[in-house]
Amino acid sequence: MAHLTPLRRRGLTVVVAVAMIVLGGGLIANARDGGASSNGTAGSVPLAVEAPAQGAVGPTRHVGPQGRVGQFVVHCDYSHSGPNDPIVHFGHAGRSHLHDFYGSDVIDESSTPEIMLAGGTTCDKVVDKAGYWHPALYDRGELVTPRSIAAYYRAAPGVDPAEVQTMPTGLAMIAGDQTATTPQAGEATGWACGSRTRISDDPPTDCSPGSPLHLQLTFKDCWDGRNTDSPDHQSHVAYSVDGACPSTHPVHIPQLMVSINFPVSGPDHQLTLASGNIYSAHGDFLNAWEPAGLQREIDQCIKRDVVCDLASNREEEPLFSG
Amino acid sequence: MTTTSFGSRRLTGVAMSAALLLGVASGCSSDEKSTTDAGKATTSTAAAEGAVLRVPEDHRSIQAAVDAAKPGDMVLVGEGVYKEAVDVTTEDITIRGVDRNKVILDGEFELENGIRVLDTEGVVVENMTARNYVSNGFYWTGSDRYRGSYLTAYRNGDYGIYAFNSYHGQLDHSYGSGSPDAGFYIGECYECDAVIDTVVSEYNGLGYSGTNSGGELYIINSIFRHNRAGVVPNSGSYELCYPGRSNVIVGNLVYDNNMTDGPGIDVSLLAQGNGILLAGSINNRVERNRVYDHARTGIAAVPFPEEDASDTPPPADELKRSCKETRNDEIPDEPVGTVLWNATGNRFVGNVVEGSGTADLASATIALSEGDVSTAELDNCFSDNTFTTSAPTGLEDLAPCDGTGTGGDFTAGALDLMVLIAQQPDKPPKDSYKSTPVPDDQENMPNATTAPHPRFEGPKKPDVDAIGVPDKPA
Repeated sequence: MAHLTPLRRRGLTVVVAVAMIVLGGGLIANARDGGASSNGTAGSVPLAVEAPAQGAVGPTRHVGPQGRVGQFVVHCDYSHSGPNDPIVHFGHAGRSHLHDFYGSDVIDESSTPEIMLAGGTTCDKVVDKAGYWHPALYDRGELVTPRSIAAYYRAAPGVDPAEVQTMPTGLAMIAGDQTATTPQAGEATGWACGSRTRISDDPPTDCSPGSPLHLQLTFKDCWDGRNTDSPDHQSHVAYSVDGACPSTHPVHIPQLMVSINFPVSGPDHQLTLASGNIYSAHGDFLNAWEPAGLQREIDQCIKRDVVCDLASNREEEPLFSG
Repeated sequence: MTTTSFGSRRLTGVAMSAALLLGVASGCSSDEKSTTDAGKATTSTAAAEGAVLRVPEDHRSIQAAVDAAKPGDMVLVGEGVYKEAVDVTTEDITIRGVDRNKVILDGEFELENGIRVLDTEGVVVENMTARNYVSNGFYWTGSDRYRGSYLTAYRNGDYGIYAFNSYHGQLDHSYGSGSPDAGFYIGECYECDAVIDTVVSEYNGLGYSGTNSGGELYIINSIFRHNRAGVVPNSGSYELCYPGRSNVIVGNLVYDNNMTDGPGIDVSLLAQGNGILLAGSINNRVERNRVYDHARTGIAAVPFPEEDASDTPPPADELKRSCKETRNDEIPDEPVGTVLWNATGNRFVGNVVEGSGTADLASATIALSEGDVSTAELDNCFSDNTFTTSAPTGLEDLAPCDGTGTGGDFTAGALDLMVLIAQQPDKPPKDSYKSTPVPDDQENMPNATTAPHPRFEGPKKPDVDAIGVPDKPA
């Protein structure tokens, strides 16, 4: 029989252990840097600022091998960059820090879901014309061109998959806090090598070329059922706690986790983001899926608890590179 | 529904008669089954042979017919090109084309899957073609008692014919080509209870791939050629149910898997130029295959190195646990680093191997540190093979399947895996699958329009001892 026992918990020790930074400090700020009143995405924006979300400060995340819960996965190539943000600075070209965009290939400062739905996409699921973006990454001041994202759609841990509803067209969400200067509370954002699911506040310095640096963003999974956006771009959605949504945000929507692939490996980097230091990591999502296509994937994959896609089929798997 | 047309009612009667005949002929007992589910009880007889829903006569689209079908029904698809992505969630139905080469699902490089079966038992798909899908041609996920027969899948962006987390399945008389991942794939199942029989797989990244699958999984009587690598069962903790184990690979013709200018995902580049490559898969039987003309090895057991692994290999006493038992096991909190999934406990017997650039037969690992498993400890064995070269040299003497080895030097002539890993070909363009060869017409199933469509109860266990070494093609 196989000599398996000697292999237990023995790996090639070519990878230096990641120093996990203790999470703490840095409350998420609700206020964004202006421009909120000019939001032009579909759906109604309340006139008054609602009470902050009642949910957790960060998400409960899925960790470990894929396949324990139903999911579908979209893989989108990097599309383009621009100093634009159709959620926070709608209609104001050049007002934002530099963003890298994926998904909708027409997205700019004035994009509405209608415009995005009429355009193309860099995603392999062509019905996904949503916009995904994050502040551009710099290494010693040099712009890093990212490769792609994998977007995982699942019921959040503990949530009954049958309860998950579709996302409304035009739903705007932001994960993470662009104003943070210290590690953010919770795990809405974090860095990892390859498809590793344990994340850290600081980018690992031991990623290999075959398993390079990734930024992971986990978005809120509870919706207020009325507003596709809010003045602070946060209050209309919340994180679930132990599988339950707060009463103010009673609608379960898929937990969207976006993993961004950067061509960065090894030590000797000085990484910053267009939004500031590395702790200001955040990302944005503007839903412009073709509604029937999104509904179909949610019904077939999440509600039925079926693994429809694996990111490893979509070239997210780490690969030994010698 | 209005779709229950006169035509389909009439056919129902014919089909029912055929079902009775088949039931007698095969001893099939499905129509004798009782069920406590009232809805199913009303169709328990129909579950053997139900109505026939014709496309486009009764329903304009395959999806519409599938949605209208009830357990036991057959959707019979007429000649034509169908630009559809069909989801199936009705159990015990058959979806059949009247002509394998003229019933074509076409994704036009926009749609994802030709036919996708989701968490649904007993779905049979046969005698049709799926091409130009972004993901897969034919796909069962979480769906037991699956069968795909007389299927052609080409130019699909992930897999040709694909079963994931599905049990009691059979893929036969089918063809898969032009996929960057694999032409055929059965993954995440133990014990799978599945058979791949009489298929042809070519111009793919991998001819066959299966991650973390095995147990009563047979790959027999098939042809794997012109892929980047031929038959590659593998393991890794990036998906559940690790490691891959206990596959039976017998009587296949595996040759010229050296493709360099076609599609291929990263792992296929790593596996390039090998015939049967057990990449971290364990306790397999590889017997009486004819394997020839490979740039690297004909048949080899090698480790699969997984960076940033989620977990380490389970101990031997946990290998009998099913996927369902292990899927919610806790994983280590701390990073485990790079894990070497060694290919151990494999038997290679009676194969005929020739024309390999590096070695006809090989067993290898990477021992970097004191105490790491050595090639001598892999417990792979080799007997009665016809071959010229091996790595290490004299492998059948060093590691015979019967008796003890000579105790010789496992380092003499051993594979230098680090060198091989470093010599990967360039990654092909993502869209290279879109221009792979269009296959010739493939064999039709007999009597497609009249053959019965009994409930599929699962694969019959093949008599592998009766399978000999296949001849070379003329």
